[in-house]
Amino acid sequence: MSGASTAAYLARRAAQKERVRILYRRALKDTLNWAVHRHLFYQDASDLREKFEAHKHVEDLDTIDKMIAEGEATYNKWRHPDPYIVPWAPGGSKFTRNPVPPSGIEIVYDYGRENND
Amino acid sequence: MAMRAFVLRHIQLPGQTLTATGSKPHPQWYLRASLRLFSSHDDHLTKEEVIDRVLDVVKSFPKVDPSKVTPDVHFQKDLGLDSLDNVEIVMGLEEEFKLEIPDKEADRIDSCNLAIEYIYNHPMAG
Repeated sequence: MSGASTAAYLARRAAQKERVRILYRRALKDTLNWAVHRHLFYQDASDLREKFEAHKHVEDLDTIDKMIAEGEATYNKWRHPDPYIVPWAPGGSKFTRNPVPPSGIEIVYDYGRENND
Repeated sequence: MAMRAFVLRHIQLPGQTLTATGSKPHPQWYLRASLRLFSSHDDHLTKEEVIDRVLDVVKSFPKVDPSKVTPDVHFQKDLGLDSLDNVEIVMGLEEEFKLEIPDKEADRIDSCNLAIEYIYNHPMAG
């Protein structure tokens, strides 16, 4: 791996960028879970952004991998025990509350009429 | 399913009769805000509403120039934003429409077009 723009290098960089984006997204949601009040959240969110921006220009693949692993470990350590999840999403309070009844079921309105009436 | 059709045919909801009488293209938006439909039958967002709200969210992002925002704009190419800014905008959209977008899908939303399409086709968009 000479650092030139070979396909493997670019593929690995792209995978790393995706990991960073997903990590940033989860960390931001987690920050919102911890800091519910908006003014606190804005403060913490800009601190988080600063941390990500500080290492923006690192080029070495192994250093980047190590930093992503550290970031994910920090995220795992700081995860909120009771995060806010939208009610209808998995983990939310309304998830599978009213499942769709199986198809083909109908109510037959025969009002107790019997076959020999 | 048959019972549901039976019930819907025989219950008069104010929303159903109002939209049946005469076509009101614009005030339907205002009527919607003041009139609450008690069924979840036709309760989907209209495309203009989705577009308006998405553009509002994008325009109120501090690093964005509001005059450049159109429904076709690409966040990173046209507005000159960062990939992390992209993540922030998607989070703002999730909060606006009370959605929960899976991580892989959220990573793919790159432009206003995709965002509007995704939200419009989402069954639980609020």
